[in-house]
Amino acid sequence: MTRARRAAVVVLFVSIATIAIAYGAALVTRGASTLAPWIAAIAVPISLIAIMILGAVRGDKGIGRLGIPFGFVALILIVGFLAALILPATESSTSSLWLGLPMRAAIVIYGIGVLPIIVLPVAYALTFETQTLSAQDLERVRELGRSNARNQAQSDT
Amino acid sequence: MTERVIALTQTALPSAAQPAVITVGLLYFAVIVGISVWAARRTRTANDFFVAGKGIGLVALTVASVSVSVSGFAFIGGPGFVYTAGLGAVYIVLPAAVTNVMGAWVLAKRMRLLGEARGLITIPDAIGARYDSRAAQGVSAIAILIGIIGYMATNALAMGVVINAIFGVGLGWGIWIGMGVTLAYSASGGILAGIYNDVFQGTLMGIASVLVFVFVLKLAGGLGAISQTILQHDPLFLSPWGKLTPLAALSFFFVFSMGSLGQPQAVHKYYMLRDPLQLKWYPLLKTLGLILVLLLYFGVGVGVKAFVVSGRLAPLASPDQATPALLLTATPIVLAALVFSGVAAATMSAANSFINIGAAIVTHDLPIALGRRVKNELRWGRAVTILIAVAAAITAQQSGAMVAFLGIFGWGLFASTLVPALAVGLNWQGATTAGAISSILTGLFITLALETASYLKLFKFPAGVTASAVAMVASLLVFFAVSWLTSRGRDQPIAEDVKLVMEL
Repeated sequence: MTRARRAAVVVLFVSIATIAIAYGAALVTRGASTLAPWIAAIAVPISLIAIMILGAVRGDKGIGRLGIPFGFVALILIVGFLAALILPATESSTSSLWLGLPMRAAIVIYGIGVLPIIVLPVAYALTFETQTLSAQDLERVRELGRSNARNQAQSDT
Repeated sequence: MTERVIALTQTALPSAAQPAVITVGLLYFAVIVGISVWAARRTRTANDFFVAGKGIGLVALTVASVSVSVSGFAFIGGPGFVYTAGLGAVYIVLPAAVTNVMGAWVLAKRMRLLGEARGLITIPDAIGARYDSRAAQGVSAIAILIGIIGYMATNALAMGVVINAIFGVGLGWGIWIGMGVTLAYSASGGILAGIYNDVFQGTLMGIASVLVFVFVLKLAGGLGAISQTILQHDPLFLSPWGKLTPLAALSFFFVFSMGSLGQPQAVHKYYMLRDPLQLKWYPLLKTLGLILVLLLYFGVGVGVKAFVVSGRLAPLASPDQATPALLLTATPIVLAALVFSGVAAATMSAANSFINIGAAIVTHDLPIALGRRVKNELRWGRAVTILIAVAAAITAQQSGAMVAFLGIFGWGLFASTLVPALAVGLNWQGATTAGAISSILTGLFITLALETASYLKLFKFPAGVTASAVAMVASLLVFFAVSWLTSRGRDQPIAEDVKLVMEL
């Protein structure tokens, strides 16, 4: 197992265990835990990025150039959630609006909801041949498929 | 959350039975019949019936996948939830920014290549191949089947509600008509009819959503004007968590993002793409399509809130009236007709997918798990399709509370039983058969136990904690722990072809 894959598995496990701690804290305090949302705001994005990295790791090559978009989106999500927790509640009829929404709502909708759309699917498409699937990869799998089909036909007869 | 997800089944939509609405509804059904007849003539094998002969193009697959990813909830219950909970309700749909590309990296390539190497056609097939275990395939098949029972009954009831609103035929007849039409195209044309009906239905949903969103913005004077109006009366509504607690909103984000990797109606579609290299553009196209369909969810929710607090719309009898109230009082009737047909489309699309997946489990996966093969999978697939649809329609006629209970656990059950064994397992060679089976059983048991206890009012979670989230976290932890504990004693090495697919 490559270092990147092993690291992704460990980070995924630790982040899920951390989310379990957040839920445990909420259960024990009957929902009054002030710590639980802070833990979840960090652990949830990390768990998502970890499983994406686990899926994107290719053989022994790691994740290549995808480290940058993954890092960027992890940062966007964590900073976005933490900003929503940290920034003071100033929403009122005199609030200035950012693209039609008060600041904290705009961070959630445009930061967490829109920015990753621009980054991740484009990164996926741009690195598809080198990082995900090339015509040569497909041919290797198809050759195995043909071999499997021949073996199956022989065992059937 | 769960109460909101099944809101469509709990609400009595106001009657929209007007000539324009009925005409659009009839035209909609006529197109479905036409597509179904065409598809039935092209369905000749079980491969055609269950995975459309692995011959669907990129655009068709994308639109179909968008169509099955949203249910009637996105058009009725969702906007009602935004109207009630404010911005907190968008954490259900915010994950759309990452879920499609996450699915592409984690599952799409590997499942499509497994289909290429092994000729697989179902999700339990993939689990069986990954772990070289008929037991793992059988247990995952049973878990999916239990989830489908709940989803199907809920969808059948939702269809009845919508068809009754359009045609005024009564709830009972609405259920039978909706399920009858869905059954007709599911049984005759299998997933091929389903896919092309999904393309039509997804297009309809997208058009309806964009038109309503634009109409709401125009009527209100833009998003800024909507925000100003709401901020004057109810600033908490537009705070980052809305009227939910921060943990509840973050829980939504977690369950609806990570959990998306276990939703069979979307994951199963990966097998169907004609050319695996076309996966390159799939996440981008699907994300954009999903955003278009979800515009209504956000737009109607905040728009109706602004109209009600400013007195332009009468207060709603219930939150789920948000979309119908807006459509029937403020929009042109043709737009209302399009949206009502769009809601019917959403429920039928989801029902068709689940019927097809359920039929594949009964005729393909369970016999394989028992060491047998059904000789004519196509014929038996059609027969089981009819059985599932009729059973769902009969169940939907039962009490609303019972159907609501069945619908509650679907999403969480799929997530907790499939995410570890399938999504993590296909990417981590250290996962073991024991880990996979343990995690599936953990997800199944915890989801059913917690949802039943909650239904019987024996237990109530604090705000922010849900059965779905607890079950998914528990099953993931069990998966890792059991896999690490049993890694030395693994009985079978991973097959060469599966190993290649996992390493690419």
